[in-house]
Amino acid sequence: MTTAIDTYVQDPANPKPPNLPRAFGRDQVPRHVPPELVREFNLMSSPDFLAEPYEFMAAMHKTMPPIIYNVSPFGNSWLLMKHPDCLFVLRHAETFRNIDATPFPRDPNDYFFFIPQEIDPPNHRKYRNIVDPLFCPAGIKKLEGMIRQRAIDLIEGFAMQGECQFTTAFGRPFPVSIFLDVMGLPQDMRPTFVEWADGMIHGETAEERGAALAKAVAYLKSAIAEKRAKPDNGVISLIAHAAIDGRPLSEKEVFGFVCFLFIGGLDTVYATLNNIWLWLAQHPDRVQEIISRPKDIDDIVEELLRRFSVTFSGRFVSQDIEIRGVQIRKGERVITCLPAANFDPEVFPNPLEVNFDRPRKTILAFTVGVHSCMGGHLARMEVKVALQEWVKRISKFSLKPGEKITYKPGGVVGPNSVPLVW
Amino acid sequence: MPRVTYVEHNGTKHEAEVPIGENVMRGALYNSVPGIVGECGGACSCATCHCYVDDRWASKVGGPASDIEKDLLQAVASPAKSTSRLSCQIVMTNDLDGLVVHLPEKQYD
Repeated sequence: MTTAIDTYVQDPANPKPPNLPRAFGRDQVPRHVPPELVREFNLMSSPDFLAEPYEFMAAMHKTMPPIIYNVSPFGNSWLLMKHPDCLFVLRHAETFRNIDATPFPRDPNDYFFFIPQEIDPPNHRKYRNIVDPLFCPAGIKKLEGMIRQRAIDLIEGFAMQGECQFTTAFGRPFPVSIFLDVMGLPQDMRPTFVEWADGMIHGETAEERGAALAKAVAYLKSAIAEKRAKPDNGVISLIAHAAIDGRPLSEKEVFGFVCFLFIGGLDTVYATLNNIWLWLAQHPDRVQEIISRPKDIDDIVEELLRRFSVTFSGRFVSQDIEIRGVQIRKGERVITCLPAANFDPEVFPNPLEVNFDRPRKTILAFTVGVHSCMGGHLARMEVKVALQEWVKRISKFSLKPGEKITYKPGGVVGPNSVPLVW
Repeated sequence: MPRVTYVEHNGTKHEAEVPIGENVMRGALYNSVPGIVGECGGACSCATCHCYVDDRWASKVGGPASDIEKDLLQAVASPAKSTSRLSCQIVMTNDLDGLVVHLPEKQYD
């Protein structure tokens, strides 16, 4: 059967909305879906999930079949939670495509792709080639000194106070300041970017969230124009002056690329840091373990990233396929539930335990396959440096008594606040 | 600039220029050579950039660069041989100009 996906040609330079089918609600469950696999809930805002998201996702392996069909007002999709199934989906980019697979809405009359996330192979690699030299391990290593100094400056700003709201004192400003450095934007924009990033996520209403995003978009557009005129060493300038297939990137491509880095790079690291520090504050003995094992810092970071993965990754199914005996059809959507896959007890026994000596296995914090997170090495470096510099200055800390920890709904898992005392 | 020849499992050859200091995995990615995935981006953590160094180059390239690489070579999807390396751990030098690496049938199951 010929469907929209067969006739749609992705032209990243002149993006057009793909208008691929989406199913919503119980009335639009395809007939071939076995009723026993259907689960109706909105995972990321359900009260059970928000009470203890990581415990919830670990328990999914006991409480649900390994593949379920999730019915939700925000769109129906298959939800995969087994480690090998998620690897399979993420590694077969021809079948499980990234076109139209991100949840961020756009104006159909001013459509753009989030680059490189939404670009399918073979074009995808061309965009990655522009930025990979900066974001590969060797490239990130060059940023280590700058990242370390940002961490030190922030921590020393409040270390003597004996308490802080971690989310606003460090979790937010640390990745924002690094983002500004990497992109080639001035540090005096930090409070403004913090405000936008917070507004986009914590805004009370859709209007508030949309307004914050619109301000960020307007600023990024003017920054792109400025970098076009005056090139520098930052990533915005690099992208604005890049070429693929012998032609310069179009305005839509440059914007989609820069915009994606903004969305992708800020909230995930923020949530990851908040999750980790919340756990550290409740496990002082493990903080001492980290201090006593400086040579194992890379293994420590990797295990923390497994235990506190923060997001999910969706794909559009472009051909019929069977996984674990379940028929998944062309035109449907799948979501790999990355934190749950990191808790697959057959791969990571006793999955909620933080064990820095686990045998090395592929973790899904950054997905795998060709679309593997380009910021993964930057994120690893940020977590590593933050841990190292924090415990040097604040080695004994705990949660401020009497304050309740709540989680924020949405596609990135993390607490609303992490009040610390020391 | 030094050149590397990547030989796919089906025998197809790709010759690519790889700058000094760059690794052999990235050389493949930058030149769209199929058969190397490198999904961890060169962190020596995923074993999806497995290659077999051509016998004539094996001694010059040498064995695994670290215990981690040695461990990961136990976990590759195609059979490991004595000449197996993770290509992200082979860094180009002038001495390696002309290097030939053979790519395995698959990088993951």
